[in-house]
Amino acid sequence: MSISILLIILLCLPLSGALINGLFGKYLPKIISGGIGTAMVALSFVIVLSLFGQITEPVKVTLFNLIQLDSFDINASFLIDQLSVWMALIITGIGTLIHIFSMGYMSHDTGYYKFFTYLNLFIFAMLLLVLGSNYFILFFGWEGVGICSFLLIGFHYSDPEKGIANSLAARKAFVMNRIGDAGLVFAIFMILNTFHTLEFDGIAKMVQGGGVEGISINSVLIIAITLCLFLAATGKSAQIPLFTWLPDAMAGPTPVSALIHAATMVTAGIYMVTRSNFLFELAPYSKDVMLYIGIATSLVAAFMALRQNDIKKVLAYSTVSQLGLMVVALGLGAYTVAIFHVTTHAFFKALLFLGSGSVIHGMSDEQDIWLMGGLRKIMPITHLTFLIGTLAISGFPLLSGFYSKDEIIGHLFAENPILYGVIMCSVVLTAVYMFRLYFLTFHGSFRGTKHQKDHAHESPISMTLPLVILAILSVFGGLLNLPGLFLHEGAHWLTHYLAGAPGLGLIEHPEAAVNTTILLMAVASTVSIGVLIWAYLTYAKKGAIARKDSELSGWEVLSNRKLYWDELYHLLIVKPSEFLGTMLNNLVEGKILNAGIVGLATLTEKTGTQVRKLQNGLVSSYLLWMVIGLIMLIVFYLINTLNWN
Amino acid sequence: MELVILPLVFGILSFFIPVKWVRVSTLIFAFSSLIVGITRLLFFDPNYMEYIFHTGKVYKLGLTFEMGYDGIGIVMLALSNLVIFLVALANFNKEEANAPRFAGLIFLMQFGLNGLFAAQDAVMFYIFWEFTLIPVFLMLYWFGAKENNRTLLKFFLYTLFGSLFMLLSILAIGVYSNSYAYETIQYTAIPAKYACWIFSGFLIAFAVKVPLFPFHTWQPNTYSTAPMAGTMLLSAIMLKMALFGMIKWMIPLNFSALATWQWPVIILSVIGILYGAFIAMREYNIRKVFAFASISHLGLIVAGIIVFTVDSLQGSIIQMVNHSLIAIGLFFAAGIIEQRLGTSNLNEMGGIAKIAPRFGFWFGVIMFVSLSVPMTAGFIGEFLLIKSVFEFNIWMGIFSAFTLVIGAVYMIRAYQMSSMGAPKITEFKDLMWNEISVFAIIAILALSLGLYPDFIFSIVKPSINHMLEAVVDTQLIIK
Repeated sequence: MSISILLIILLCLPLSGALINGLFGKYLPKIISGGIGTAMVALSFVIVLSLFGQITEPVKVTLFNLIQLDSFDINASFLIDQLSVWMALIITGIGTLIHIFSMGYMSHDTGYYKFFTYLNLFIFAMLLLVLGSNYFILFFGWEGVGICSFLLIGFHYSDPEKGIANSLAARKAFVMNRIGDAGLVFAIFMILNTFHTLEFDGIAKMVQGGGVEGISINSVLIIAITLCLFLAATGKSAQIPLFTWLPDAMAGPTPVSALIHAATMVTAGIYMVTRSNFLFELAPYSKDVMLYIGIATSLVAAFMALRQNDIKKVLAYSTVSQLGLMVVALGLGAYTVAIFHVTTHAFFKALLFLGSGSVIHGMSDEQDIWLMGGLRKIMPITHLTFLIGTLAISGFPLLSGFYSKDEIIGHLFAENPILYGVIMCSVVLTAVYMFRLYFLTFHGSFRGTKHQKDHAHESPISMTLPLVILAILSVFGGLLNLPGLFLHEGAHWLTHYLAGAPGLGLIEHPEAAVNTTILLMAVASTVSIGVLIWAYLTYAKKGAIARKDSELSGWEVLSNRKLYWDELYHLLIVKPSEFLGTMLNNLVEGKILNAGIVGLATLTEKTGTQVRKLQNGLVSSYLLWMVIGLIMLIVFYLINTLNWN
Repeated sequence: MELVILPLVFGILSFFIPVKWVRVSTLIFAFSSLIVGITRLLFFDPNYMEYIFHTGKVYKLGLTFEMGYDGIGIVMLALSNLVIFLVALANFNKEEANAPRFAGLIFLMQFGLNGLFAAQDAVMFYIFWEFTLIPVFLMLYWFGAKENNRTLLKFFLYTLFGSLFMLLSILAIGVYSNSYAYETIQYTAIPAKYACWIFSGFLIAFAVKVPLFPFHTWQPNTYSTAPMAGTMLLSAIMLKMALFGMIKWMIPLNFSALATWQWPVIILSVIGILYGAFIAMREYNIRKVFAFASISHLGLIVAGIIVFTVDSLQGSIIQMVNHSLIAIGLFFAAGIIEQRLGTSNLNEMGGIAKIAPRFGFWFGVIMFVSLSVPMTAGFIGEFLLIKSVFEFNIWMGIFSAFTLVIGAVYMIRAYQMSSMGAPKITEFKDLMWNEISVFAIIAILALSLGLYPDFIFSIVKPSINHMLEAVVDTQLIIK
């Protein structure tokens, strides 16, 4: 089939899944509504696979004209190139697994069909985001996934205990993302004004051809454009300063955290910057900003994760930290390396989240890791897969995370050895909190209630099967982009593959010397294994007991309270704007404006009363006024005559 | 002709229809005039001016009775017929719908609106402008909250006061160009020193009606005490008269004054955007939240109109249509909540979506439509408007884009406090068929215009171009 037809089917599948479930889901049995939702995504995956097989060079499909104005044209068009197909593979592939998982995980939920409606809608919006051939369609998907994220974070909005908290988390996510969106909107305006088009390939050609007014290396315009784009990325990909929504977003059901807040949506910012690589290449200044923000985010989030006790919160901060790493790669201009880490991260982070979901499911909705422990015997499959995920994320040798992380670190080392040292701190911290999480959950003795202990069970096959598949991918995912050290000819397959996308083929990748690569790998492996042993000795003890937050001291409090970041924002932004709103309402609206109008009315009324007094019915008084009036008329007449002359 | 006459006939007829039949007849009348409006819209040829009443005669005092519409006019006419239909449908189950005079007022209102949008003579424009005040005043007086007489007086005097200046301006135009007919005065070049004053007369009338900051103080109280139908009419279509007046009368006739007034108006509207948004964020009366939100939304439209480029005008027209839809949707939702809970305080609500899932769903849809998310008409509108303001001046553009963020805060806050969380209330009757259809019509229209905005653009674009050309030609005469 031709590519355009495949594309239309691809977009229609998840949309129709959402429509069917949304309209009729209420009347369908759970297995069917879940089955439809899953099948639609699985079919999309098959279609993306066939696109993957067909693509040799970028294909652009224009469906219809969206806006046709004097100064510009915007089409609903789609770009099928290596980058978008690769992203679509991740989205639909991981998406299918998570849909399967959800069929088991959500089985007790009353809003089952609604859940699948939203998930399918999300897949649709995400596909729009990555397949769109211009910033406008990208923005459609960009906001679309934001809406789905809002709906899914607040999925249990009417829960008696957590309902308000859930809906507040949803609102926070949406609003913070909107700040980023405003950045994207401004970037779009500036791009439109400069290039008169929003098409990626068109802009790439114009940039590479040169001669566009105002566009040169580090010119003000290009820096403004790229920084606005990056602001959007900090919103969606949870970077400083807009990252605080992501940990709160864990209020959503766990499959949502896995799909949206770990594997796909939060990487949209990384994708968007990669897509705009030709613009960022002209703005070394913006790339530096990205580099430092990425490093700071990675470090700060890793630090915050150290003393979190909620199993999902730890993973959320870990996601922020890993996204920081990807942004570091972007800041170094290593776009394909960032996409490589997006890929492996999607594997192992989805695995970890689904694993935690399986744990939470088995533990009757318990999320505090201090109330777990010793689960490895009760949940063997979950345990084994979770272990693989933990090893992969902490960079254990030869697992997927090892390779992708190592490439980023290697690039950073070549750029600046000091920054390399800083980022290694973040890598060490990652290993520390991940092994702490793992050992507290699966080793030691059981610390939960008796009821939980009796109920604890391994999850059904629909939940363990995705875990196993993701575990396999997490182990072998590194093969996608092996360093030149191992396979001289077949190395960097992903980098070569992605080179077909606009701009990406032109970026040179300096290969580190073999000796350096080996050295860096050795350091990383040593760190990972060292922390593993230390964490085993510290947290896997039999008699570990739950620690209360109040027992923490010093840096632990800072980590547990997230460096008081939320409180700071509350003080600096929320409070002042609330104060402004109240003040405007009471003072300006109530006192000044209203009083002004009412005062005017009163003045009229008073004048009326005074004037009425003149009408006193006395002829002599009227005569007096008449004379005064006459005199004034004459005076006016005289003045006027004098003026005219 | 039927566009104007039909509502008048319906309006007079409605007063005499037996109480038993009146709500059904209202619906039928409103629907038939909607059909007329849509047919006219679909068969409209954008390249020509369509006259519905054309004598070419000039009567005493230079008056004419020309009526007709161009692309902008027909969109507004169709919009007004749609709004009337939606209001009739939304009120179908309310007590008021059984009162013949209620139906009569609605159609008299429609008569005034359609006349105003079709008027091709400045005096006629003024007469219809003032005429619309009568039905809406009576509606607020007869069916509004009993204690609102003071608010009502304020509203009435305030708008009347504003219109007075417009009358002066219209007379000045008449004196200057010896005619009130649009086709004549359109081509009369008024020098800047007079045009500035004439412009300001229009501006005061329109600024009060829109309302533009700081002329808005009548609005929040009026919106919150008026009967639901009154609020819908005021916010959805009456203030569009002022925006339409700006596009068609105020600016093109006094184009030489635009440069003088552009900055003051744009600053006031951007202040309005922020001011309304910040207050909406802290307001607890749900109708007032939407009232201040409306001030914020309209600030952006006025800013777009005053920038006066092809893109900004197209953006403001599609945003006017969109704002009518969301204003009906939001005030309808607020009205439903008030009717069923007996309160309009957000603190006393909560968890409605749990008890009444259909209401929760549709209110949520309307909320997202009013947030101007992509694929809704609002997105196209806001995109073009902010873009035009941004191109006019970067800082104004940045400030006006605050609406994207703060808008999300107050809208979601209102939705969340009323509908999410654990239910604070025990009973809430879910939506009935007519209520669902109102929401569904709004959602479908907003979506289809969001995906195919060209439907509106292709109709209004030739008229806008024609208007701008006329303006340029006229200005050449001065120079």
